[in-house]
Order: sequence, then structure tokens, then C-alpha cells
Amino acid sequence: MPKVVYVDTAGVERVVDAAVGESAMSAAVRNGIPGIIGECGGNVSCGTCHVWVREEFRAGVGAPGDMEDDLLDLGVDDRRAGSRLACQIPLTTELDGIVLDVPPEQV
Amino acid sequence: MLRTEINELLTQTGPGTRMGDLFRRYWMPALLAEELPDDDCAPVRVKILSERLVAFRDSQGRYGLVDEFCAHRGVSLWFGRNEDSGLRCAYHGWKYDYTGQCVEVPSEPETGNFAANVKLRSYPLVKVGDVLWTYLGDPEHQPPLPEWEFVRVPGEQTYTSKRWQECNWLQALEGGIDSSHVTFLHSGNLNTDPLFKGSKGNEYNKNDVKPFFEVAENEGGLLIGARRNAEEGHYYWRVTPWVMPNFTMVPPRGDHPVHGHFWVPIDDENCWVYTFDYHPVRALTTAEVDAMKAGLGVHNENIPGTYRPVANKDNDYLMDRDAQRRGEMYSGIKGIAIQDSSLQESMGPIVDRTKERLVATDAGIIKARQRLRKAALALAEQGTPPPGLAPEHQRIRSASIVLPADQSMLDGVRDAVVARPGVAQTTV
Repeated sequence: MPKVVYVDTAGVERVVDAAVGESAMSAAVRNGIPGIIGECGGNVSCGTCHVWVREEFRAGVGAPGDMEDDLLDLGVDDRRAGSRLACQIPLTTELDGIVLDVPPEQV
Repeated sequence: MLRTEINELLTQTGPGTRMGDLFRRYWMPALLAEELPDDDCAPVRVKILSERLVAFRDSQGRYGLVDEFCAHRGVSLWFGRNEDSGLRCAYHGWKYDYTGQCVEVPSEPETGNFAANVKLRSYPLVKVGDVLWTYLGDPEHQPPLPEWEFVRVPGEQTYTSKRWQECNWLQALEGGIDSSHVTFLHSGNLNTDPLFKGSKGNEYNKNDVKPFFEVAENEGGLLIGARRNAEEGHYYWRVTPWVMPNFTMVPPRGDHPVHGHFWVPIDDENCWVYTFDYHPVRALTTAEVDAMKAGLGVHNENIPGTYRPVANKDNDYLMDRDAQRRGEMYSGIKGIAIQDSSLQESMGPIVDRTKERLVATDAGIIKARQRLRKAALALAEQGTPPPGLAPEHQRIRSASIVLPADQSMLDGVRDAVVARPGVAQTTV
């Protein structure tokens, strides 16, 4: 079971046990992580599960898809290197311990 | 959700705005040809992309589109006299030709050249099909004349109407891209409207109310496909093209004429909706044209002598709650065009997109916004010409087609979405 660490803007870490194949959005919503909303249920259409992936995990997570890339451009306030929609990050054993920073505007 | 600054970028089209500069790269419908029916007929006020202009047709049949206001003291030239190959201001008789050149200032000595130094801002105005087109941009970037099939087929095969819509152009356009709403808002019309009823496609529409949407990029814009179940192992696809920046078409039904729209900004809080219907290979029948003129299909009924709909926001669009209750009309409002305009205007003049909640069926809208944004920025920052200018981008059609389940939309409609003279539309 991969662990996911969600870090809010105050630096508070919340650790969640996720199922393999589950998205980082779904794991967050299931565990009530503040700031990850997932309004559209993981359909890459709302942009309310924005996270910043810590640098050491970016290669493992890969680049955003086409539609996700558009939403990050249009809908999120502070797109940076490492910006992803959590619904498009399927969790794997390789990603165990992944650290995701949750942007302030979603909290 | 859309960030505030992007909403502003996409919705503002006046002079000097980035989206305004993008629009000023294209030929846009400025009037219907019927608005200037004769030489020396009455001039018409035209507001487009927040510029106030006046259009006239001179004694020699030449079309002029010039600054609405006289260079002398700012009087509207709409009050002017259109005579002897020029538009003469009603105040002091200053006269302008179709290029905006002042040709006579009666108070000044004939020996002087005062008039020669006065010229109004002016734009080309060209009749192609039933539409008078203008180009508001820099002359050195003027593209070839429009190639849209609805203005290139013979006159008896095409019909265009227009109506004033009281909201920003983008929320009107987005209605044309979002084919998901058809299942609900327009559900009452498919069976009864003479311009839609009786196609096999309508059956597929009714039997599968949860279509899957696929959006594919093409050179001039997007192809938005709605996929529904058809016979075993097959899908029914309805494919809506959007061409940059403001052209959409509705997928055809049976052998009915094919229709679509141009969504032209008047200013940031109003737009003209040009609505066309044409058949690629046959004349429209009298019954079809009569139905279109009566406001059926995607057309509407206007207040006589104007292009304002009879059903408008001042009379709550003639809402009929009984018809809504009976289920004859999903929203209780008559006619597809007004069903759309009523709801789009209800969003406010410029909808605040920071508050919206998009779902998966809005993929076409997201993609279109992104294409517009990227094109506007590329033009502003690098001078890159936007998509949709090339004649081949404009030779496009909507399509409805049944494809084997294992065939991709793009592969299946590659030929069907190209306007081919003499070849009928691909339709079910």
C-alpha cells in the first residue's frame, strides 16, 4: 500500500494509505484531506485537485496529459513546475512516500 | 473554473485588446446583404468589436463601412443623405465616399483642398453569399475572402438570418460547442420541427441520453464528437466543428439542410448571431425556406424591421410554464435559438467563469478556451497568425455517421468533415 503525504501551506503533513491504482485525488478525498476537492470526480474537467509534486517524485509521476495541461493553464492560480491534477496521478508501489503540496487557494 | 485574467482576455474584443487583435485578423460578418438592398438605400449603423461604424451602398453599388461619426463635429452619419456616390452629413453637408474619403466640404472655398485632407476610418465591406463581410485589421495581414460553404454554394441552396443576443460572444459560442445540452434543452424540438424531424439519427439520440464526448484538435479548431450507441457493434457519432475564433456547425439530421452559426462580438456585452442553413447539393425547398423565415429550426422570429428577437429578456422570452409542465418544451421557451439565448443571457452580460463547475461533457469548451488563449498570446507576443485563416480551415462541414465501434472518430470522419463541392453531407 503506497503512502501519500499531503502537506498544507502551514507545513502540516497528513499521511494517507492509498490503494494501488487509486488516484491521489481519490485517496485525499476519501481521507478528508483539506484543499483537495475533486469536484468533477476525476474526469479532468474541474481543476479542483491541484497539487505540487515534490521534485524528487516528478520523474516517477511523469508529465500532465493534454487536457490536464489545458486545465492547469486555465484554471489554477499558481501553476509551477510540479503542478499536477491529483486525479491524474495513479498511485503505485514505486510512488510510495510521494509528497504532494496542497496549494492555499483550495483549502 | 477559469481564472479572472483569462476570462477577461477571452471576453474583451475592443480595439487594443489581445482577443480584439485576434478577431481583427479574420473576415467577419458585418451585415446581411438584405440590409443594404439597393444603391443609395438608407445607411445602417454597425457596431462590431466595440467599434461604431456606418455601412452604406453608394450610387454605383459599392459598399462602404466607415466611422459612424462625421469628422467635423462628431455627428452620426446614420442621419446622412446617401446620394450621388457618397454619404453626406445631415448637419453641414460634408460628403464622404465609400472609402471614407471626404470629397466635399460645402462651406470651404472650392479652390482649397480641405476635403482631401479629411478621411474617416474605413474598412472593406464585401458581399460573399448573403453576407457582407468586413475585415477590421491591418491591411497588410488581410486574408483571402471567406470560403465557408454556406456562402459559396449557389444562392438557392442557402439561407442566413441573424439576431441580436444580449451577452458576451464567448458564452454564446460555448453554447454552440456544448452539444451536451441538446439532450435536455432542445429535446422537445427533434420530433416536431419540420427542419429536424424524421431522421434515423433522432432515434439514436432518444435511445441513448448519456452520450460520450470526444474532442479532437484539427488545424483550424476542434472537432467535438458526441458518441451514442447504435446497432450492435456500432456507434452513432455527431460531429460539431468549431473553427477559430467564432464559427460552429450543428451535425446534420437526415437530408435536412445543414446549419451553423457565426458568433460575432458587437461589444463585450452583446453579440450578433448569424444563423445559416444550406444544402450542399440541392436547392432549399419553398417549405424549408418558409419554415426558416418563420423562425423554425435554428432560426428565430425578429421584431419586424429589426434583428431583435420577438421573444427577448424584456418579456421573459415569452415563457410558457404550461408547455414546460406538459413536457412539450423542456424550458417552456419556444424555438431552439431562443431556448439558447434565454439561458445564455440569463448568465449575465459577461459570465463570471471563476464560479463555474465544469464536468466531463465540457471538454470541448475547455479545449476551445485554451486554443483561443494560446492563439491570442502567440499573436500578441510573437505575431503568429492564428488558426482558421487558411481557406482549407474554412472548407469544413459537420457530420453525423454510424461507425464500427472499433473505428476512431477522427479516422471515421476525416473526409466527411471536409466541404466538397457537389458532394452531399454525411448524415444519418
